[in-house]
Amino acid sequence: MGTIKNLAEGITALLKGLATTLKILSRKPVTEQYPEYRRPLPARSRAVIVLTRDPDGEERCVACYLCSAVCPVSCISMQSAEREDGRRYPRWFRINFARCIYCGLCEEACPTLAIQLTPNFETSGRDILKLVYEKEDLLVNHGGKNNEYNFYKRAGVAMVGDKGTQINEDKPVDLKSNLP
Amino acid sequence: MPKLKIDGLEIEVERGTKVIEAAARLGIIIPRFCFHPGLGPVGACRVCAVKFEEGPVKGVQMSCMTDAQDGMVVSTTDEEAADFRKHVIEWLMMNHPHDCPVCDEGGHCLLQDLTVAGGHGIRRYLGKKRTYNDQYLGVFVQHEMNRCIQCWRCRRFYQEFAGYRDLGALQIAHHTYFGRATDGQLESPFSGNIIDICPTGVYTDKPSRFTGRRWDFERGPSLCIHCSLGCHIITSARYREMTRLEARFSESVNGYFICDRGRYGFYYTNHPERPRRARIRTEEVSLDQAIQTAAQKIIQINQKNGPKAIACLGSARSCVENQAMLIRFCRVQGWNEPTYFETPTMAKKVKRAVARLDEQLAVSMREIEKADFILAVGADPVNEAPMLALAMRQAFRNEATIVVIDPRPVFLPFEFEHLPVAPDDLEPCLTALIKGAVHRSAAEKMGEEALRFYDTAPAEYPDAPIKNRMVKITQKLRQSRYPVIICGTSIVRETTPDVAADSALLLRAARGRAGLFYLMSEANTFGAALLSSEEGSVMDVVESIEKGSVKGLMLVESDPFRSFPDYERLKQAVDKLDLFLVMDYLPSFAARLAHLFFPTQTLFEMETSFVNQEGRVQFATSAYRGGIPISQISAGGHPLRVFRRDIPGGESQPAWQILAKLANIISLPGREMFSLSKNELWSWIAKEYPIFANVPIADELPDDVRVHLAQGREKLFPSGGQIRSGGLSRENSTLELVMGDWTFGTEELSTYSKYLQQVEKEPCLFMSPKDASMLGLKDRERITLPLDKGRLEMELRIVDTMAPGVIVMPKHRQLAWQKIEKWPVKVAMGQIRK
Repeated sequence: MGTIKNLAEGITALLKGLATTLKILSRKPVTEQYPEYRRPLPARSRAVIVLTRDPDGEERCVACYLCSAVCPVSCISMQSAEREDGRRYPRWFRINFARCIYCGLCEEACPTLAIQLTPNFETSGRDILKLVYEKEDLLVNHGGKNNEYNFYKRAGVAMVGDKGTQINEDKPVDLKSNLP
Repeated sequence: MPKLKIDGLEIEVERGTKVIEAAARLGIIIPRFCFHPGLGPVGACRVCAVKFEEGPVKGVQMSCMTDAQDGMVVSTTDEEAADFRKHVIEWLMMNHPHDCPVCDEGGHCLLQDLTVAGGHGIRRYLGKKRTYNDQYLGVFVQHEMNRCIQCWRCRRFYQEFAGYRDLGALQIAHHTYFGRATDGQLESPFSGNIIDICPTGVYTDKPSRFTGRRWDFERGPSLCIHCSLGCHIITSARYREMTRLEARFSESVNGYFICDRGRYGFYYTNHPERPRRARIRTEEVSLDQAIQTAAQKIIQINQKNGPKAIACLGSARSCVENQAMLIRFCRVQGWNEPTYFETPTMAKKVKRAVARLDEQLAVSMREIEKADFILAVGADPVNEAPMLALAMRQAFRNEATIVVIDPRPVFLPFEFEHLPVAPDDLEPCLTALIKGAVHRSAAEKMGEEALRFYDTAPAEYPDAPIKNRMVKITQKLRQSRYPVIICGTSIVRETTPDVAADSALLLRAARGRAGLFYLMSEANTFGAALLSSEEGSVMDVVESIEKGSVKGLMLVESDPFRSFPDYERLKQAVDKLDLFLVMDYLPSFAARLAHLFFPTQTLFEMETSFVNQEGRVQFATSAYRGGIPISQISAGGHPLRVFRRDIPGGESQPAWQILAKLANIISLPGREMFSLSKNELWSWIAKEYPIFANVPIADELPDDVRVHLAQGREKLFPSGGQIRSGGLSRENSTLELVMGDWTFGTEELSTYSKYLQQVEKEPCLFMSPKDASMLGLKDRERITLPLDKGRLEMELRIVDTMAPGVIVMPKHRQLAWQKIEKWPVKVAMGQIRK
């Protein structure tokens, strides 16, 4: 008895599977053919890193060294410097994409929203030096995911603009006055 | 002694210890902003609140303002106290800007640490932030007042600890401002310390602005070699460049602070012109090739002219290893021993000082702070060894009397008695003070020699105004319980170090306790004096070259062109040489003239040791591997896009290793071979010089060890019967030229620092009003000073705080003073003209 039952069950399962195959066979395929078709990825997907600009068109990066500190594979290096007007900026900024693991910790650490990961992942190449990006390669002409934020308007230091002119600030204390 | 319990741990501390310090001793670090162990408590920030559960004080109190008392039970983790501290941090942050990313303090900021520790993340107060305008504070310190949390550390250090007045608190209440009355360079040569002690980023280091974060630097414990004190420092290097230097705590040397010469003098190591390749004449070659060529040349000269035809000059800025290896090298080759001193007089003075400094008399800077009477002879602390002035100021704050006997216009940041007498009169002036304060019976107890010294030393100083002032000083000295004598070795006579030591002995016999502190010219002068057995000098070497008996000259980290009094004569002597071999890390004049040049490593690139002026052997570890800084190779742009295995410009080696390699090539078969191991070199040192036997060299960073020449070998009171009466030698027609030091501009290594060059003052000639009126000269006039080999032009400054009969000039970088034939220099009065 048992043998006949098993046989019946096996055949039914086979026919069920075949039915599914026949059903799908008649459908239009869903596979996307890369690179013929490039699927639009969500903005939050993590691939090639860029350096964005603030609403005034200035470099957002202040070379605070936080991204290079947090980077688990040490692929970011930079040298901070002072511009003539006192603004802090990276004299050079280098990301070694041959080493980058696209974890996005740098973006999380960035206090000025300068460093951002983009959905562009197509960077593979044979020459490893071509994967070492300098600042010129990284800088873009937009604000990335946030076009409003301007760190220096909130920083509260005189590196850009005078003291007391930034958001939510009093006028500088007059040292020569006794008035409260 | 009060016994208390902190977080369940019991501790017994001395009376007067604050609870915050008692906790620190248990390893519990209570949060603090205003409290600093070097400055003491002030109770301004309120963040050190702890809960006192039992004992004489109850409730939440400030641990920095409360003395530890018996029966106290303290909790630092109590909820109420922790909540209090959290609120303190929140209100301190109310006006603090939102600028950590662009602030140089970020990463080692106390305020940042405690804000994170206190869990304050979101600003709740929505009112406006207070702002201040910043000031220009000069070359070293960057000001950003918005970051201030009013802890008062800067003002307390600047005014109370260091004694300078130009930076302080302005305004009141929540408008309190720390700065100067007007913009300008900070006047204090200790100004860099406010950067170290500021708990937030109000004062940041300007030369290293934005160069990196604390975690990026290669850091290591090292030593300052810009004077003989040997202060402890921490170095920071990044991208093959020394970027910053901070004070390192040292119990007995510098405490918590260092001076600006030490802090900003290190730029010689990054100097763009620093020679980093070996050279044969002007052609750059590999180090090995240069060593081979040098060996052949040396063998040639040795065969033709004998082993004594090559002379060696070392220097007192070299480490013990380099000095010792040079001596070992010369001994094995059978050459004359190397020379470390410029003049025979200098060699003799330093050797006498080293011989006389014994364990009982020698004091450290911390002990100087405890003295109640300080007598400085021929010493100008702020200019020769700045940190000594701070130590003396701490003694002054403890109500010590401070007397300086020196012809120069000495300035110290506190009140002191200055007895300006000519160099010849230093000794009689000193002995007159000692005789006034020490009874003859004390000398009698010390034996015949002491009595002879006491009896024959001049008892009175003939110059009336000075004599009158000495009466009060003698009285104070008579009452003192712990007098310390500080004796310089630069401008004094040959016998003065002995007279100072003998005076200290007499004081100790009379007062029960006394100290002796010598100042020396360079970082390792003491080491050079201990190691070298001959009293040769650069002068002797030059004479031998002129006579033709010396054909080759080897300079190991030495630049005689800077210090030899007669530049032209030295140049001609060098031109006569068959072999002129230079090892150095400075772009010195000698390095440019060298026939054969070897690049050596600086202190920051090798593991070394130095002996400071109190005989303390101290150690430094290397901060980085050397090489040309990335910023210099890539001219400010991004680093070169090439892979390479070696360090560009990293050929430099410690001078002692180059010497060892050279010796191994030229040594005859059968002679001992030198190893390149530092431990092997140290075992040789310990064998040849037993006083170094207990130096624990095997450790990674050994503790300091004090070495002193064996007790009882030296003859005490050797100058008995030799001290002339004061004031008699003065001829009215001549003025004695005294060459002094300045804080900035005279010390060899620091003169290569581009930042210190900016704060150097223009060299000038100091003259007393009496002499100036006799010559009809006015203050700030340009004058010409005739020297043996030419004239010097500079500004005249008339100051009434200096000795008449003397003119004082700095050995300044900007002044070509090397035109002197013979010391001491006497200038005929009429020859100084407008």
